[in-house]
Amino acid sequence: MLRFMLVCLCLIFVAPVAHAQSLQSLLQDNADAVANPSRSTVDSIVSALAAAPVEGSPRFLEDWRDKAIWVRLSDGIFFSAAEDGDGLVLTDLDTGAQTTVAEDDGFDQIRPNAGVRRVINAALVQFQLSDADVTRRIAALDAISRDPAADQLVPLRQSIPGEPDASILARKVQLERQLTARFGDSMQERVAAINFLSGDLSVEVRGVISQILTTRQFVGISIPEGTNVAQIMEIGDDLDEAEAYQLLVDADLAPATVTPDDIVATLTAQIEDGQVAGVDVSTLGTDAARIAAYDMLVTRGDAAPFIAPEDRASALDAHTFYLAYTEVNVDITTAAEDAEAAIAMQLNVGKTLDLTLDALSLASIYFLAAIGLAITFGVMGVINMAHGEFIMMGAYTGYVVQQIVPDYTLSIIIALPMAFGVTFAAGVAMERLVIRHLYHRPLETLLATFGIAIVLQQLAKNIFGTQARPLTSPDWLAGAWVVNDVVQISTIRIAIFALALLFLCLILYILKRTRLGLEVRAVTQNPGMAASMGINPDRINMLTFGLGSGIAGIAGVAIGLYAKVTSEMGADYIVQSFMTVVVGGVGNVWGTLAGASLIGFTQKGIEFFNPSNTLAAQTYMILFVILFIQFRPKGIVALKGRAAGD
Amino acid sequence: MRKSFIAQNPSVLWFLAGLAIFTLGVTFMSEAAGVDMISTSFLKTLGKTLCLCLVAIAMDVVWGYCGILSLGHFAFFGIGGYAIGMWLMYARTEGIVATSLDSAALPPTPQEITDAIGSQIFGVVGSSDFPALWAFSHSLPLQLLAVVLAPGLLALVFGWLAFRSRVTGVYLSILTQAMTLALSLYFFQNDTGLRGNNGLSGLQNIPGLEARGQAVVSLWFFWASALALGMGYVLFAYVVSGKFGSVIRAIRDNEARVRFLGYHVEHYKLFIFTLTAMVAGVAGALYYPQAGIINPAEIAPIASIYLAVWVAIGGRGRLYGAVIGAALVSLMSSWFTGGSAPNINLGFYEIKWTDWWLVLLGVSFVLVTLYFPKGVGGIFDALVRKTAVERQGDYGPDKGAWRNDEGKPS
Amino acid sequence: MTTLLEVSGVSVTFDGFRAINNLSIQIAEPELRAVIGPNGAGKTTFMDIVTGKTKPDEGRVIFGEKSVSLLGMSESQIAQAGIGRKFQKPTVFEAQTVRENIAMALKNTRGPFDVLFGRRADNREERIREVSDEIGLTDVLDQPSGALSHGQKQWLEIGMLLAQDPRLLLVDEPAAGMTPAEREHTTNLLMRAAKTRAVVVVEHDMEFVRRLNCKVTVLHEGAVLAEGSLDHVTKNQDVIDVYLGR
Repeated sequence: MLRFMLVCLCLIFVAPVAHAQSLQSLLQDNADAVANPSRSTVDSIVSALAAAPVEGSPRFLEDWRDKAIWVRLSDGIFFSAAEDGDGLVLTDLDTGAQTTVAEDDGFDQIRPNAGVRRVINAALVQFQLSDADVTRRIAALDAISRDPAADQLVPLRQSIPGEPDASILARKVQLERQLTARFGDSMQERVAAINFLSGDLSVEVRGVISQILTTRQFVGISIPEGTNVAQIMEIGDDLDEAEAYQLLVDADLAPATVTPDDIVATLTAQIEDGQVAGVDVSTLGTDAARIAAYDMLVTRGDAAPFIAPEDRASALDAHTFYLAYTEVNVDITTAAEDAEAAIAMQLNVGKTLDLTLDALSLASIYFLAAIGLAITFGVMGVINMAHGEFIMMGAYTGYVVQQIVPDYTLSIIIALPMAFGVTFAAGVAMERLVIRHLYHRPLETLLATFGIAIVLQQLAKNIFGTQARPLTSPDWLAGAWVVNDVVQISTIRIAIFALALLFLCLILYILKRTRLGLEVRAVTQNPGMAASMGINPDRINMLTFGLGSGIAGIAGVAIGLYAKVTSEMGADYIVQSFMTVVVGGVGNVWGTLAGASLIGFTQKGIEFFNPSNTLAAQTYMILFVILFIQFRPKGIVALKGRAAGD
Repeated sequence: MRKSFIAQNPSVLWFLAGLAIFTLGVTFMSEAAGVDMISTSFLKTLGKTLCLCLVAIAMDVVWGYCGILSLGHFAFFGIGGYAIGMWLMYARTEGIVATSLDSAALPPTPQEITDAIGSQIFGVVGSSDFPALWAFSHSLPLQLLAVVLAPGLLALVFGWLAFRSRVTGVYLSILTQAMTLALSLYFFQNDTGLRGNNGLSGLQNIPGLEARGQAVVSLWFFWASALALGMGYVLFAYVVSGKFGSVIRAIRDNEARVRFLGYHVEHYKLFIFTLTAMVAGVAGALYYPQAGIINPAEIAPIASIYLAVWVAIGGRGRLYGAVIGAALVSLMSSWFTGGSAPNINLGFYEIKWTDWWLVLLGVSFVLVTLYFPKGVGGIFDALVRKTAVERQGDYGPDKGAWRNDEGKPS
Repeated sequence: MTTLLEVSGVSVTFDGFRAINNLSIQIAEPELRAVIGPNGAGKTTFMDIVTGKTKPDEGRVIFGEKSVSLLGMSESQIAQAGIGRKFQKPTVFEAQTVRENIAMALKNTRGPFDVLFGRRADNREERIREVSDEIGLTDVLDQPSGALSHGQKQWLEIGMLLAQDPRLLLVDEPAAGMTPAEREHTTNLLMRAAKTRAVVVVEHDMEFVRRLNCKVTVLHEGAVLAEGSLDHVTKNQDVIDVYLGR
């Protein structure tokens, strides 16, 4: 122990100082100990190497451990060598220069024994953990947490006091606790470490705790003294009879049951002249006939008998089935169980939080996708089936901009207004050319806009091809905000959330505080009256439609950043967008917000119960929406009023 | 004053006569009859087109006559196809399995046969157990019943929910679209037990008729499709004529007023919705054995929208309009996308119809909606009107329904 | 004369606005009753409540000898129970012929299966002819009703009401947009109808009401302001205030 302390101290003071001594010369100073390593001598070399950190020490230690160090008998020079047929490929320890010799006659392989190798290994970890290079230290820590072992504990502890980097230090302390929890010397030490880890959510800690709590299935007449029992298993509750009996069979405590496969095999083996036990094979097409034939074989003594149910029951009764911890100490497993419970609780909190964040980001996407639709649908009573294709147009606009402007940040800044402009123009054109003529035929508007949707989709396919196009987000959007191993959310989703919030405010502002908004609301409520007040409904309709479409374009850029840009991406959002609008209540921004939140949270909530199946989540979400409409046909935020017009 | 059903609806007779001549003509030109002027694959296309015409008239009744723009009728069509497909797959696999189990030492037990069929059918989705949905798949009569009852029941439940909450107009369309999407997503899941996105395949091999050959079987299916179309046409012509037709057209034009006359509007809508769904199921059950494969993509919402497009192009509110629309668009679609249409070389760009057909369809559809709301069938109207003054039902929701009424769910 | 319809203590609020405020009205059978009142007095809402279109927040609406509450019933059930309604705007089915319009309204079973498979009543044509004679549209029976003039549509709608054979007829502004001769015809129609059943006419036009020569109920702000003969209510100071302004 003291030796290692020394090594550490040496490292701290010596490491930064450049040293002239070469590895070879250092080894030559201890030539005898290197060539014939033993438990008593190996430490001196390790100390020497640690004291004078020369290039290639860790590499040498690895080779030494792996029996790849050879000595040239003629001059005692050490080489790292690989066998090559009869010859050797020699690598100079200092220069790395390689030479090949045909015969290994003049060389001797150094073979440290297992005890020595363990010391070398520990020293190696020590070297890496104390390496001057930060990345190598991190790599060493990663290696330990990937594959923790008892012998890493001591070198890890040694490396802690000398650690200059705060974050690595924290990681080392954490890892030290994890290793102690599993491999600590005393019970007290381990329990203390386990308690320290309690409530930590990281995957590593959860792995450590579950390692400690590893159980094995046992069966016996009674439970041996000193067994750390995790659970006594009741037949019927924890185990079904067949499984329990199979355990008995596996433990050679009961004779094997006769399975249908056994029956078939036995019968097949006993076929003689188309008969088994005097029964025609052709009649054995039912289970009952097969069992009867088998029974005859049993009475003849040609087959193992069936296990009688009462024998089976008594065998099961006579034995105890239990799970035992591989860890024998009860205090440790109790502490680990407590820690596991604490972690589980934390985990639930974390998962709920994570789910909420997920749902929030999904709701933002639905809101962005649907708000444009809500404006056109709510204000103008027009169903725009091509809304999804406007989203797609926005995304492709972003893609094209990125082809021209290679700087990702700049291209996003250009793409957003560009997408708005392109889809605004497309929306206005569509309103002028088609929708204007269909204002009093809403069902036909739906179909005509669908016609436009298939045209746009096919055009996108013809221009950009069918494969997905990437819309790369700038670096500052590429990361994720990681709270812990459970709760994390990608930056892009946060950005979309912010964008959704921005648009909520913007649209509320436009509708409530501007002249345009006033006119839009006037046209919504009474187009005829608005027209007679000097508001041009045509102009308002055109602008409203353009605005709704423009927002779809911006939503397209946002969605394209985290999903792939394809010609069909719009179609994926259109039904959800419609449902958002319908659930929320038509003609109200808050309604759309409520609808998006409801749908986003419901979908994520359903996914929570069945995480592997997002298709099912969507299916049930739609069913939920259909049922929801039953109770609130006008949506969450319904505009009440005197039943107009009869 | 009272006239017979045929006299009131002369178009029925014309239609049946036309259908009969067409069927006979195709039969004589078919491969099975020996003349071989129509290949078996084209015969199948024609048979499938007849099925599409049948589902199109169902759509026309529900939309053109009753004013419900259902974006779910192709899903009912698909369910019918799945219902018959389950039996076809089961029975055919049973045959294959029986042959392979014959080589075993012991004759197979019923359980072994079922297990073998299960692992054969569901192997692609990593399962071998029969899901509950397949409980009747061994029985042709029960699955034939399911062809009608499964879509009917679904339409009944969905329609009851939708109509009783008085969802109308575009809201109803969106709701039916949501139903269709939910259904197709449900079918896409492997857990559902309908082989996920693999769908059901090999449906063109009819168990028991393998020896007859595809040419003959295709002809039989063509006849069955023609018969079904004829019967469907008469059925719907009967439904939309007389007082019942009067009531449903009145519902299309002003639902509230019909209610104040004492009619339970919901019951009528439900009746029409369910009846048309059942007919759609029958059409699907005839279509998919000719197509050979069905998968969940077939029932995606877009298919139902295309159905509405056919009816709109053909001219809604007339049964023959729907037939014309479905036949015209689906045959043109297979002509353009099948590579038969000559490409147009503009010098700087070559228009490949496989790429541009959808653009053409979309544009022409928009134009039809804008300028010919009566569709292709409207041309017939212009001709027939001169001789028969007593035409009825020429109006779509465009003339009778108001924007205000459709924009609100009550 | 027995009470056919009893509306008592009914109130309706739309978004804080009280359209009907503790309204109570009784209609006997047979009776002709005119309901007048300024705009927003709640005349149309009153009809909406009786026909089931609007559900009141509180109050009772009772109909017939068996005192059936109308509040739990749907529009179509109320119509089948014997209450017919004519809307302000003539709403006939313009795509269909006059005959089809009347046939649809004829008192008969209303279920889809009855209508689809049921045998037509033998006297159907007679009944249609009776109604069309009554409203003077026999000549145009086979014309699409969309081709009718405004007045003819109003009559057709009244004819549809008569074909329904209701016990209570609610008529909303039947004379709006009619020529004097047409009004005369309409007045006669309504007065004849009121001999055997209850008829409630909502009207603005005092001249028309005077000609009906019946009991008048004046509504104001969702409640009954005055009731009695036309002469009686026109002398009422409250009514004068409401109509002429304060």
